[in-house]
Amino acid sequence: MSYKSIYISIILAVLLVSGFSMKQDTKNSSYTLISTTSTYTAGDMVSLDFNFEGSADVFMYCSNSYGSVIIQPTVGNTLKFEIPKSITDKSGTINWELHATSKLSSGQILIQPKSEINKLETYIGPPSIEAGGTDYTMLVAIPTDELDNPLVDSTKVVVKHQFLDDHKDDDIYTKHGFTYKNLFSYEQTGRMLINSESLDLNSKEFDVNVVPAIPTNFTISADRIHNYADGNQITTFRTSVIKDRYNNTVSDGTFVSFIIINSDGNIEETSGATIDGIATAKLLHPDHEEQWAIKAYIEGMANSETINIKFEQAVTDFEVSFSDSNRMITVGPLQSFMDQYIPDGLRVVLTITKDGAIENQIIEQSVDGYVKFILNKDRYTKGQYDLKIEAAGITKSFENTSYE
Amino acid sequence: MKNASNKYLIAALLIGLAFHGTSIFFTLETTYDALIHLFFADHYANSWFEPWNYKWYTGFTVMSYPPLVHQSIAALSFIGGLKFGLFSVALIGIILFITGVYRFSLLITSNRTVAGYAAILAVFSSSFVETLHIFGQLPSIIGISVLMHALPEIYNWLKTGRWRYLATSLSLIAVTVTSHHVTPIFGMVFFIFPLIGMVIMDHAKEQVSSLKAVTIKVFISSFFKLLKRIVGFGFSSLFIIIVCILPYWINSKNNPITQVPIPHGSRDNFLEITSSGLVFFLIPWGILLILLPYIFYRFYSKRYLFFGLSITILFILGTGGTTPIPRMVLGETAFNILTLDRFTLWASIMSLPLFGEFTYRFAEGDLKTLIQSKLGAVYHRIAGGVLAGLFLFMTIFTMSLGYFKPSQPQKIKMLPIINFLNQDQHDQWRYMTLGFGDQMAWLAAQTNALSVDGNYHSARRLPELTTRPIERLENSKFKGVEGIGSLQQFLTTPEKYNLKYIFSNDKFYDPILYFCGWQRLRQLENGIMVWEKLNVPPLSSILPKEDVSRWQKLLWGIVPFLTVLIAFLLNVQSVLVSSLKTKVTSLPEYFNFKNDYSKFSRGLLRISHVWSVIMAIIILIGIYQFYIKNESHHSPKNAILAYYDALDFKEFEKAFSLINPESDMSIAQYMLQVSVTDGLLSSYAKLDAISTEIISETEDLASVKVTTDWITPLEKINKIYYRTLVKVDGKWYLQPEEITADLPPDQLYASNKTAYFNQGRRRITTEQTYHEDVLKQPVLEILSAKLVKADQSYAIVGEIQNIDNVPADVVLKGTLYNDADKMLATYNAKYHVKHKLMPKEVSAFRINFEGIAWSKTKDSIPKTFNPDEFTPIELDEQPTKFNLQAAGNVSGSDLFKNTTVSISDLNNETISGYLFNSGTEEVTIPQLLVSYYDENKELMWVDHMFVKDGIRQQRTQAFKYQLQTNSVLTINDDMSNCYVNGLPNTSISDKIVSDRITDHSKETLQSIEHPNFKYLKLEVNSYIGNPN
Repeated sequence: MSYKSIYISIILAVLLVSGFSMKQDTKNSSYTLISTTSTYTAGDMVSLDFNFEGSADVFMYCSNSYGSVIIQPTVGNTLKFEIPKSITDKSGTINWELHATSKLSSGQILIQPKSEINKLETYIGPPSIEAGGTDYTMLVAIPTDELDNPLVDSTKVVVKHQFLDDHKDDDIYTKHGFTYKNLFSYEQTGRMLINSESLDLNSKEFDVNVVPAIPTNFTISADRIHNYADGNQITTFRTSVIKDRYNNTVSDGTFVSFIIINSDGNIEETSGATIDGIATAKLLHPDHEEQWAIKAYIEGMANSETINIKFEQAVTDFEVSFSDSNRMITVGPLQSFMDQYIPDGLRVVLTITKDGAIENQIIEQSVDGYVKFILNKDRYTKGQYDLKIEAAGITKSFENTSYE
Repeated sequence: MKNASNKYLIAALLIGLAFHGTSIFFTLETTYDALIHLFFADHYANSWFEPWNYKWYTGFTVMSYPPLVHQSIAALSFIGGLKFGLFSVALIGIILFITGVYRFSLLITSNRTVAGYAAILAVFSSSFVETLHIFGQLPSIIGISVLMHALPEIYNWLKTGRWRYLATSLSLIAVTVTSHHVTPIFGMVFFIFPLIGMVIMDHAKEQVSSLKAVTIKVFISSFFKLLKRIVGFGFSSLFIIIVCILPYWINSKNNPITQVPIPHGSRDNFLEITSSGLVFFLIPWGILLILLPYIFYRFYSKRYLFFGLSITILFILGTGGTTPIPRMVLGETAFNILTLDRFTLWASIMSLPLFGEFTYRFAEGDLKTLIQSKLGAVYHRIAGGVLAGLFLFMTIFTMSLGYFKPSQPQKIKMLPIINFLNQDQHDQWRYMTLGFGDQMAWLAAQTNALSVDGNYHSARRLPELTTRPIERLENSKFKGVEGIGSLQQFLTTPEKYNLKYIFSNDKFYDPILYFCGWQRLRQLENGIMVWEKLNVPPLSSILPKEDVSRWQKLLWGIVPFLTVLIAFLLNVQSVLVSSLKTKVTSLPEYFNFKNDYSKFSRGLLRISHVWSVIMAIIILIGIYQFYIKNESHHSPKNAILAYYDALDFKEFEKAFSLINPESDMSIAQYMLQVSVTDGLLSSYAKLDAISTEIISETEDLASVKVTTDWITPLEKINKIYYRTLVKVDGKWYLQPEEITADLPPDQLYASNKTAYFNQGRRRITTEQTYHEDVLKQPVLEILSAKLVKADQSYAIVGEIQNIDNVPADVVLKGTLYNDADKMLATYNAKYHVKHKLMPKEVSAFRINFEGIAWSKTKDSIPKTFNPDEFTPIELDEQPTKFNLQAAGNVSGSDLFKNTTVSISDLNNETISGYLFNSGTEEVTIPQLLVSYYDENKELMWVDHMFVKDGIRQQRTQAFKYQLQTNSVLTINDDMSNCYVNGLPNTSISDKIVSDRITDHSKETLQSIEHPNFKYLKLEVNSYIGNPN
């Protein structure tokens, strides 16, 4: 089966047919444009008529901003080129060229948009802007006719907006087919509703939120059940209502970090997010006498003044007893400020040192006011150990405790 | 006899279809392979002639697997759906196998009764049951079955030289090769070569009239007489094998398997890894192990000599890594690519004729007579009962494996997932499944959405996948460091693969998803959690593919069915004639070589007895060892291992049974203790290794140091426990551990928080989201950023703040350039950033530039697991500049910020302190982000630590952090190429926070005594495993 021969015969046939049809000569022919109108309205029928002598074997190349097309003439007494609707529906310039083997003549037709508005295309963004009058949102409006052509330039568009008690209308005019308006924020926060209108046609409602600007300095306070360092109760920190510089309450969720520097210079950090401008943060009471310097920050933007609070020692002293040939160490009773047993969970740290090197550090939590350490004889073999017990900031050392 | 239907064969077919035909509905879908074949079938059903499949691995070609079985399922699926096709093909496979064994046995033994016995035994043979019901290897079964059908035809051709037989044998070979490529290649070696040997032997026997008289000389002369036919058959079948699946061979040549070998149980040392030994050796051999002396004795008789050699090689190759021989015979490459279980399968199938023969002789032949006369009729009956019992036990045991030790997770309802992917244009992105097992193939077959992952590892293309021995990302937790290592690269830079959705059926992966910046979308009604990543672009509408020429597509689509058609036409006549008995046909050639079943060798009987005793002893020893190893109270070590094993698998009742019964701990109290502990170690850890060291042991007291290695999705945890054990009533028990006693101050407390809800699109429509419904991207500000070098690896460190009024999800992408502005590497921030920021919140970040781990084959893959393993990227040139792109997207999830951090003690090596949870959610995994600053309070480095235990509400958790010792060198701190949401960072910061108070960050630093750094700052990022 030879495809090759089929292809060759087809090509030959095509060449022959086209050769026959090309027999007429256009060189000695002449073509004159009869049509005089060069401006139409979109959607109109547009046709170009030519007087001609000689060959009618010509075609027209038409192009506008949407694309190009080749048109064959209707041959009668004249040559009539009907430009298709897909081209004439679009406003703008149509360039045409008459061709035979070479370009014979060319020209332009201007298509005007219709004068009746059909639709008002409107875009707006960003959907939220910052209060203060420097941030703005941009509204873009394009009034269009029923064929989706932008109306002629200098069509009036009215931009209306409402914010709190204000209603405002602005007249703007289209240029290059569209128009825009920058709507600047106000000093208050809230929601701006926007609408545009052109030739009695209204757009739908748009909304833009005006959100608070960056926060300003604020104050903080601390709230606690008692001022004893029992390692159990929780202190709550609160900010005042945080405002931006235009006196708007900052948006919910604004993150405030509270930095606490204790008397050893170590940092503790807690944080809160605002609700109605107030951020709340919590921190556990220390388990020993302590002085806290607290300052809250919205980083890079605002801060509070430092406040100081003091915690008094809750557990003033405790006893340590050894039993079971020193392998059982009982710490307690651990008593709080009214001599009550301290709530469960007070950390007691036992540090076991042998020959100057730390062997192990065991952290236990108190239960019913006591903590028991059991030193496994397999883990801590026979010898001398130094024991250090720390609880509630109090340290007790037992040097050279011997184990069998 | 001559013209009667074989009752045994008919019985075998009936029983086989009833037994397998009903049970496949309960087994086939949970096998390893069946759903993969279903996926391929779905591909052919949708595009028969187009071999490129976009659904897996960013596209692959189905020309990487012979198509016949898949195309058959696809063709049948037009009648009754994919699963109808699958089960129909499985039924055809069962019929082909039983009849194939019959014909093969008839060929070998020339005895219809024996062949009938073999067919019945084949129905229940454990290797067939395993291949079908556990592995689901349909192409393999059909391939070997058709090959068995081809063997008598080949024999006839070689023996008689009638062209008809050449045509039938080649047509069957063609069907074999289009259903499974490996079967005919190795089948040539292991089945056809010995068959040729047998033909020559038979021919030689005819020359000299007695088998004894066949000498090597006679044999060689017969060989030369038959040489023409042998060579003719050899070359034409080779031609068939190559031509029928020519596109496959072309594809294999163009895309050679350059991947790192994937470990397979069949290559293990079966004595070391007993589970592999069970699955790949004991089960397929089954009762045949007892008959080994008989099988070898018979196959080494003169006529079957070459089968004897063949089965010996198959037997040895099937032992995998137990002996070094298979590795030596096959060579390193082939050993690592082939799965060796197929050799055992073939060996067991090759043994079936002789198994049938043995059964025949035992049940009604000379063996029965011999045993009855020598050992008595009762002995014969008992022995028969024992053998039959063992045989059935192996069958039922194999069948039950899939039930008691399921290889797959529970069956997942796919409909909610398919609906999810179809709605809201979710299939415009790629998805990935986690913890689906082979069911991911079934999901892929049903949806149009594309997956990054896939289930046919030979077709993997991404270097992230081919450089490591993982079959798929989906089950990466079972593949240790390579698995999680691969997975986390996909999770960190999902934009590269347009990966937006993850369907997770395994809680294990939750932490890694969270810390890589993914967020929970919702739980579908089938219990699958959907995770989503923001800021991932959708797939482009045109995806790349590797096209092949049209003739290949046509050949691939037409030839397989054509081979079936031709084989059918060529064989149908003889099959119909022989089964319907329409006319008397002459017996096949091989019926001239009948065996003599009148005198069973006494020596063989004796050896078989000895062998059986040896086997029995080995089994008893094995069982005893198993008991000693697994009896949890037997020794302190056993008790410890059993206890931690039970904890690992969350079998708390079993764990409690190992706690000292004399301690006053009740099961209720124990369960309470276990249930209140959450965290990385107690909820997301798998025990990787455990070793025990007995510190002291007396008669009834022992103390043990237990060293455990736990794998978590985030990092490897090493933990040492000191446990005391007591002996009560001769059994060892563990002493219970203490629990924390912290008592929070409040019984009930209130906490207010800001919650967010993103509508997505406000109008229900399938159109694009309306312009005005698109949320503005939250504005972020990069406060500082610099390129630093630490220990030969480069990183970008800095701080970022959400300066908007809505919470933001943060994606940070860094790119490194050299002096000539050539791009060197790009990567995203992984663990070292808080991915979710409240309005005005700040997070330190670090972007590591990670290479594709072990991308060079010479890099040895570490044996031990370390999910935190970091492979720094290899850069050819010095990076000197960087570009940083920050993208914010509104997110309302994972905004828990109520963990406070307190430093209680610090020295030049460690910082210790505690975390306190003041919120209303339980923190499952707290992460500390530690930023280091120099003396000018300039950020130098960012590090992180996962705290092993969770923090319950209003409680504290202590931490101890080891300070970094490395020194950090600043390469470039020019921030001119920092962008936020595509806009320059400076223009944003100038506009929104024009008068930034720079002192703030400096006031909040903790000073430290450290040679390289002077200040540091701690931040907490909390993962909530179970949000209320």
